[in-house]
Amino acid sequence: MIYLDNNATTRVAPEVFAAMQPFLTEHYGNPASAHTPGRYMKAAVERAREQVAGLLGAASPGEIIFTSCGSESDNWAIGGFLEQNPTRRHIITTRVEHEAVRNLCEHLAEIGCEVTWLEVDGNGALDLNDLRKALRPDTGIVSVMLANNETGVLFPIAEVGRIVREHSAAVFHVDGVQAVGKVPINLKEMEVDLFALSGHKLHAPQGIGALYIRDGLKLPPFIIGGAQEHGRRAGTSAVPNIVGLGAACELAQQADGHEQILRLRNKLEDEILARIPNAILNGARDRSKRLPNTANISFQYVEGENIMMLLDEAGICVSTGSACHSGTHQASPTLRAMNVPYTAAQGSIRFSLGRYNTDEDINRTLEVLPEIVDRLVAMSPYEQELKALQRAG
Amino acid sequence: MELGAPIKEHFLSPRNVGELGAAAYIGHTGSMICGATMRVELRIDESRRIADAKFKAAGCSFLVGAASLLTEAVRGELAAEVGALLQSSANSLGQLLGEIPAEKSHCVKLVRDGLLAAIAAYSDFVRDEWQGDEALICTCFCVSEKTVEAAITMDGLRTIAEVTRACNAGGGCRSCYALIEDMLRCAEQPTSR
Repeated sequence: MIYLDNNATTRVAPEVFAAMQPFLTEHYGNPASAHTPGRYMKAAVERAREQVAGLLGAASPGEIIFTSCGSESDNWAIGGFLEQNPTRRHIITTRVEHEAVRNLCEHLAEIGCEVTWLEVDGNGALDLNDLRKALRPDTGIVSVMLANNETGVLFPIAEVGRIVREHSAAVFHVDGVQAVGKVPINLKEMEVDLFALSGHKLHAPQGIGALYIRDGLKLPPFIIGGAQEHGRRAGTSAVPNIVGLGAACELAQQADGHEQILRLRNKLEDEILARIPNAILNGARDRSKRLPNTANISFQYVEGENIMMLLDEAGICVSTGSACHSGTHQASPTLRAMNVPYTAAQGSIRFSLGRYNTDEDINRTLEVLPEIVDRLVAMSPYEQELKALQRAG
Repeated sequence: MELGAPIKEHFLSPRNVGELGAAAYIGHTGSMICGATMRVELRIDESRRIADAKFKAAGCSFLVGAASLLTEAVRGELAAEVGALLQSSANSLGQLLGEIPAEKSHCVKLVRDGLLAAIAAYSDFVRDEWQGDEALICTCFCVSEKTVEAAITMDGLRTIAEVTRACNAGGGCRSCYALIEDMLRCAEQPTSR
């Protein structure tokens, strides 16, 4: 299998599994217990907290609270703040957030909050003047993702944080799920109050996430119960998963692998765009404004879902912004927000690389993909448009 | 999603992809639900049968598989009969396509509409060619009362489907069904009355 869907989830790293294994076998005990095995578990949790804080550049490990997933972290951050501050019901977010934020904000708009949706341009970039204009005295929370899950486009959250701080009393939440482990992050240098991450995007197992809560920020517990996580998130700590997340954060901080991912992504992207006439890139052309592992490419006038299925037959895993899952299916909201024409949005494929991809993976993909696209081009009813592309190319 | 076996096989090796040139009857359809578009081309011979069927599509794998299966199924069939059948019930397609998931019903409708649009183009052609001045029962395929009556009495027809098969009447918009039913009822009365 050639796995190019690392933005969906990643393989658990052997180093992560090795760190977790003792906590699934020989070590057990509730970290809330005062006896020796309990204290051993507690120490493992606190070590993982330091590892996560290290990767995020948090000022102190106490700012990291473990959750079950990225969506929980996002829901807690935004919902919790609004619970604490019921009079500040204006929210600012972007058109291209992950469902965990987008659908939550849509829900909040239905129950009495007011939401300002910041638009993006054709490259997927924000206009920060829109943010300046949107901030109001009653703005409670601004939520902006660090990296877009579909296109990999990075938002300038340091700048966003400065603007929020200078022009308002709002808190700033960042959905960092797709960025953590892929780009350097230094939260103590930024005006970020809340920051969500998810373990399975960086080679930890599924079922573990964390929320960074800046020291001093009040946030009511999302789960009410015992005193775990300093009383901020009840529920017995998932020690093996927490240990796994800690190990994954440490692994991500090591320099190896990142250069390789960038080189392979660039090779894949360059070759596809050079060799396939109906291929166009979605998202910032400037690669410094995108995650190093993501290439979102539209194959115009053909259906992305067909490409995905045929690549799957060839043992290559990618994802599409155009999966026809439901009767109300439309192309991805992110691509629509970028005004990608629908004949291109329908044919979008996301290639997202990871630390285990090799040159062979990319060569094989480049061998198989053009034939698949050729086949679908021959099936496409958009002959005139495709012919025009051929002439232009 | 997991595709049913016949659909998947046809998606992986689609039959009848392409065009038929100038002599073909062409139907275009598109879905506002999913953005898929497709074109169906039919060649219909002197005996009113579909001699060849081709399609092109930009749509999901289910749509491609269904288009391949259905264009395969209609080849050799009477065009008007196919038209009547496609309009009468979606269940007849279910047997061909296997289980149709609810979220894919619009894909099946798209293929069906494509075939019906191509058959409608054939009907337009028949209407343009029509030279007679007899009273018509079926205005889609220009079938006169005389022709329908002759088919019913000479062949002893009992159902609308049999009439459509015999002479095309009823294979288009189906607004002549009441008239054909009346004629079938009259024919059933004992001749000695």
